[in-house]
This record gives sequence, C-alpha cells and structure tokens, in this order.
Amino acid sequence: MTTATNRPAQTTQVYQLYIRTTPERLWEAITKPEFTERYFYGARITNSPDGHRSHGPDGAVWGDSPTFEYDPPRRLSHGWSSLYDDELAGEEPSRVTWEIEPQDGGICLLTVVHDRLEGAPKTAESVSGTGWMMVLSGLKTLLETGSPLAA
Amino acid sequence: MTEDLVFKALADPTRRFLLDRLFERDGRTLVELEADVAMTRFGVMKHLRLLEAAGLVVTRRSGREKLHFLNPVPIRLIHDRWIDKYTEGRVAALADLKHELEESA
Repeated sequence: MTTATNRPAQTTQVYQLYIRTTPERLWEAITKPEFTERYFYGARITNSPDGHRSHGPDGAVWGDSPTFEYDPPRRLSHGWSSLYDDELAGEEPSRVTWEIEPQDGGICLLTVVHDRLEGAPKTAESVSGTGWMMVLSGLKTLLETGSPLAA
Repeated sequence: MTEDLVFKALADPTRRFLLDRLFERDGRTLVELEADVAMTRFGVMKHLRLLEAAGLVVTRRSGREKLHFLNPVPIRLIHDRWIDKYTEGRVAALADLKHELEESA
C-alpha cells in the first residue's frame, strides 16, 4: 500500500456537516460570543458587519479581521489571522466562509470553507485535521444536545 | 442513514482511490480525476456522485471549473462512533497484558 498518511496542508479546506437546528439558531451560535466560547476552544467571537473579533478566556486578542460578507442567516465570510499563537500570528491573513443551507426535516447543511491559505502554511496545517473538526463537532453537539442556551 | 451511505461509498476500490487522490491534493477537476482511473468519464462521474451523496466529496465552483474537495467530517464521525470504541478496548487489553507480564517478571 502506498496510501499517504501524512497529508500536505491544503490551501483550501472544505468541511461540511448536517446539524439538526434552524438557520437562525445556527447563525446565532456562529456569531455570538456566549455561544462560541462553548465550542470554539473557549474563544469569545463576535461576527458582525463591522468585523470578526475574537478573545481568549483571559481577554487576549485571538482574532481581529474584516468581514467580507454578512447575510444572516445564510452566509458569513470573514478574514482569519491566528493571533492566538505567536508563531502563526506573523503569517498572511486567510479567509473563512460559513454557508448555511436549510434542508427538509429541521436540518441545516453547514459548509465551512477555509481558503486563501497560500501565505499561511503553518495556520493551514494547524487548523486541518482535528483543528476545525473539534470546533464543528462541538458546534453540532451544542446545538443538538446542549443544555438550553441562554436567551 | 448517512452512515449507510458512507459505508457503501467506501466499499469500492475505485471510490477509495478517488478519495486518496483528493487526500493528497484537494480541489481537483473531473478531468484530473478521470486521468488517473482506467474508466470512462461517465463511470468516474457515477462514482463521484455516490461520494457526494455520502458527503465524502464536496464540489465547489471556481470560475468555470467544478472542483472536488474531500470532506473529512463523515469519516471522522464514523471513526468516533466505530473505531475509537473498539481500538480503545484492545489498547487497554494490551496495556493490562504488559502490566501483568512485567509484574510477574
């Protein structure tokens, strides 16, 4: 077998999963800090038309990037700089796009595309594999089985 | 339901080969993928459709091109559901065995 096990980091990464929830709740979970801190490595993230801001549990700035598209509850696109890590912080910014497509039966198809990673090879490697996977499976768990979310 | 589709999609050598090609490098066109497989374009498209239905491959448009991406999430979910459970037991058994052998040595 010549199957590769070490995957070269991809400059466009696509993640897609079904989540049993409404587009509105999914949008809230992606854009408001009281939700993101429960599945995004503790990051308090605010996504608004003005930008993408992220803070660590200790208040440190983990992300501060422009918003490219803001179309609730369907599509959000923002910049990404890995300010949470000294080594990654110096790399060029990349882009993260969230697409929400409602399906039959109270399910949403969520697609996350992390691209423009050509100038950020270390970020590309660090977010691939378990990086985004932990975030997305945490988001799914929160929305499908999580305790009632604060209003 | 989705799990059935994933297992069915993985139960074919051509489809596993296509996934391996995308694992090495994502964002390939149909033309690129069919160049690696001894099969008609129609045959490759059929396999790609099954992989898409299982959520293992996601297509995105880039200009005039349709690019194919490997979506790692379904395999991860299968891994969490099926693989972890069984390997954990085996690893624990081996650890116990090692412990016992070393104790009695």
